[in-house]
Amino acid sequence: MESKIGAGMTLTQEAAQRRVADIISAIPVVLTEYRCPLCARVFPGYSGLREHYEAEHAGAIAPIVVMLMLNGKGCEVLIEPHWTLKRTLQFRLGLTGTKHMCDKGVCGSCTVIMDGRPVLACQILTAECEGRDIQTIEGIAADPKWKPLIDAYCRWDAMQCGYCTTGFLVTAKALLDRNPNPTERECREALAGNICICGTYPRHSQAIIEAAAAMSGGGVDG
Amino acid sequence: MADIAGVNGQREQFRVVGQRNLPGKLSYTIASGVAQFGNDFVLPDMLHAKFLRSPYANARVVSVDTERARALPGVADIVTWLDEDIVRISSHGESFGPGTRPWIDNIADQEGAEVAVIVVAEDEDTCDRALEMLDVQWEVLPHIVDLHRGRQPDAYVIRPQVREAPTFGAPGMGGPPNPPKRGNVAYSNMISGDAEAGFDAASHIIEYDLYTPAFAAHLPNPSGSVAWWFDDPYHPEGGKSLHIEGAVRERMAIAMMYGLPPEKTVQEGLFMGGKYCDWGLRKSQEITPLLARRTGRPVRCVNTREDMFDFIMKQRYVHMKVGFNEEGLITAVEDDSIADGGVWGSSSFGNVGDLTQGPYNTLKCKNVTQRMEIVDSNRGKMYVSGQHCPFNWDSITMAIHLIAEKLGRDPIDIARLNLHGPNSQDDIDPVPSFEACVEAGKKLMGWQWHRAGAKRLPDGRLHGASFRYQMCPRHSFSSYNCKLELRNGVVHMPTQGPLFGVFAVECNAMVVAEELGLSYDDIQIDFDYRETFTPVGGGSDGTTASAWVMKECANILKLRILEAAIEYANDPPVPGFGHGFGPPPPPPGPFRGLAPDDLDIVEGRVVLKSDPSQGVPFKQATPKNLFATYSGRPPLALWVTGQMGKQLDTMNTAYCEVAVDEETGEVEILRFGVVADPGKVMRPISLESQIDQVMFFSQGCQLLEDFVYDEKTGVKLNNNMIDYKKPGMMDVPRVDREFLETRAGNAAYGSNGISHSLANTHLAIIAIYNAIGVWVDPPATPDKVLSALNKDMPF
Ligand code: FES
Ligand code: FES
Repeated sequence: MESKIGAGMTLTQEAAQRRVADIISAIPVVLTEYRCPLCARVFPGYSGLREHYEAEHAGAIAPIVVMLMLNGKGCEVLIEPHWTLKRTLQFRLGLTGTKHMCDKGVCGSCTVIMDGRPVLACQILTAECEGRDIQTIEGIAADPKWKPLIDAYCRWDAMQCGYCTTGFLVTAKALLDRNPNPTERECREALAGNICICGTYPRHSQAIIEAAAAMSGGGVDG
Repeated sequence: MADIAGVNGQREQFRVVGQRNLPGKLSYTIASGVAQFGNDFVLPDMLHAKFLRSPYANARVVSVDTERARALPGVADIVTWLDEDIVRISSHGESFGPGTRPWIDNIADQEGAEVAVIVVAEDEDTCDRALEMLDVQWEVLPHIVDLHRGRQPDAYVIRPQVREAPTFGAPGMGGPPNPPKRGNVAYSNMISGDAEAGFDAASHIIEYDLYTPAFAAHLPNPSGSVAWWFDDPYHPEGGKSLHIEGAVRERMAIAMMYGLPPEKTVQEGLFMGGKYCDWGLRKSQEITPLLARRTGRPVRCVNTREDMFDFIMKQRYVHMKVGFNEEGLITAVEDDSIADGGVWGSSSFGNVGDLTQGPYNTLKCKNVTQRMEIVDSNRGKMYVSGQHCPFNWDSITMAIHLIAEKLGRDPIDIARLNLHGPNSQDDIDPVPSFEACVEAGKKLMGWQWHRAGAKRLPDGRLHGASFRYQMCPRHSFSSYNCKLELRNGVVHMPTQGPLFGVFAVECNAMVVAEELGLSYDDIQIDFDYRETFTPVGGGSDGTTASAWVMKECANILKLRILEAAIEYANDPPVPGFGHGFGPPPPPPGPFRGLAPDDLDIVEGRVVLKSDPSQGVPFKQATPKNLFATYSGRPPLALWVTGQMGKQLDTMNTAYCEVAVDEETGEVEILRFGVVADPGKVMRPISLESQIDQVMFFSQGCQLLEDFVYDEKTGVKLNNNMIDYKKPGMMDVPRVDREFLETRAGNAAYGSNGISHSLANTHLAIIAIYNAIGVWVDPPATPDKVLSALNKDMPF
């Protein structure tokens, strides 16, 4: 089985940018196979799967196909109706930059931007996301516009173990979208819903303010 | 006691070490969302596994009928504790608990315990449905979640086994034999000096209680693993090889568990999550190889947040009796405590044996009696940990503040009076690092001590302040094996990593760059799980110790490079001959007939010391690929010599100011202050982060965190992130920090570790005492503060 991990993980920012762009472009736009979640049989078309459900799993709720608009790209996913967006991102689309820490809507690790607002992917059903514009950390990191934000996070160590970091970054991006020059207080308020168990809090505002200055053409202090 | 040797202590100029804003080597990988933690891995055709978990605090599975569950579509496998495959495996990870228990059995000794059955299915929902369809016969047993109840002679004995095989921190380490276990209680006692004589010599005796709540491990990422078996063309012998992700750093433990040679066990991921002295493998990290072998498919098993609310610090009640003279000099200490033994297999960290590592060793007073009852419970499991236990000095910090209050003297003066000198407990000289920290700390905080309840802030709230000192420990517990390589003119530092919340690899790379005259970016880090160098051994203080080892290695490589540059200059290739294919070799540097001492390395070039403008880049200086290795640890590691706290080199001081609202009981931490002397500041942002982190950990466990149980059922009531509150962005106070560099440690450039020593301070609780004159047990929630003030909640 091919491994995508290991060597090469010391990515420069440019290499990381390319890697996430590759991850996004690898997501198929249309489904070509339909796998039964209950018995793993694979069907070439959705109707085949539905018929299989009626015949073999009568009473069970069949999976549905949802069209998502993710990081500017439309893609079909086959999911069960109760699946959260978080689950779909990880298990159907290979987008594992969206993390989950609490699964209860309190930690912000699963933050994505939907129609311009930060939302918690562990609390949203995928079925509700059809046609909505969704940005994940991969889309943000692949976009050269947000290079200064990613860079400032790395230069300020606004991460320790790094598990919560992408959730903070997505929230920070949503903040800068609506307020390109936030104060320290505004940064803290915007990030109030993100938990970092490692306690990196003071460095986030530093990074965001530095990124804001760089993005508006201001200088960056080392 | 600055005893650092050679280039270590003599380097005065630093180009790289001490620099800020050098990104972590994996930071862009993390920030871009590329980094995969164990729970992130998804493989084609992957199955999911879940354990049966106990709804009872103490119970036995008498029987289980799996037939209905097996018939459920999507169920791939079900294994029980009686299955031969399960009986054969045993854990080899760090657990520090007695190892006699089967890997899984039919005993559930805490609510949520993995017990008796594991289900494997196409997805997690099917696992859940299958678990519901098991027909399990439980025998529910009485439970102990209240330690006071558990230590009563008539209490139900939950675990009759004998405590065997002392492990690190186990009862009785280095002390007289302990009394035999009685009921649920084991003993850990240690007596030094003559406490009775000490109390006779005292003019005052105070007694007080200190409660330390249990608090949760700091793992943000749900623990678990994904495993699969594959044909490895490089190691075809002996069948398939194992690939496991999610058990980072524990590849060898997994290999041993499944009887595999290391080369047939692959683990590439680098991201462990916040592993702060929590090295224990969870069952979800150990089981997937077995299930993958049985099913022939990749298997993922990941704990939920509720499943992984493990302790990093167990509950403890301390009763202290302290004698002191008119000046405030402590003459005797009696420390009686009751500690949670946790469930079977819990780490024994935090017991009296650990206290030899520091708490009382910094005092001039040698009359110390410590008696600890360790009560078996059904509260939960503590995996290794120790971050917060062995160095928890706050029973003495409290004494210092109580003595100060009694005598009307500044606690800093009381601390100074009681602190022994640098070399031994009989040394009465001041400790230079302590004096420097205190002087800077007083300035930083505008320190003006007042008696309890004596100061109000302009807004009417009561003001309280606290202070504590600690040593920055000479940890250096582990040895390190490292190597460096010059390959095609580039310096490579191979390491297995991993990343666990401390920028240890980076600190080592900075040292290599410093010693080799290179920049931080010049050092190529080759992460490879097969390498042996991992700069994390012995806790995050291991960073400074491993940096010392890496520094030695860098100097060996440096000498090799200089020798090779001279050799190449002395015997350059004849143009047109001897270089085989490819472009002609570059001309050597102007080093003919010189000695290594005549040369240096500056900005990636080998140069003449006498004229640094004359030189050539590495690639031109030698066509050779060169290697250097070094194995060892820094000299005079106090932890391994048993002298921790008895010799004092680098110290730190911490401060806290609070405001207490008498009407609402609310406590606001106005700020924390830390003045620390880590000997030498290596990577400043790392130090700042670690200090913030431990201050916020302290804030959490002093004001917010505790485990709550339903007394009747023994069920945990708050093992989720809604009900168990960790500090968030708007909760955390300002932390002011200042670093001193006395270069008195034993690790690289005279550095010492810092993180353990500031973990789990009682600064907030002591500051509350200074504000209101009454002790409040942590977590100091408003209701507890009001009841300490004899007031009711205002609503
Ligand atoms: S995982 Fe979604 S908010 Fe915590
Ligand atoms: S960096 Fe570890 S949880 Fe935030």
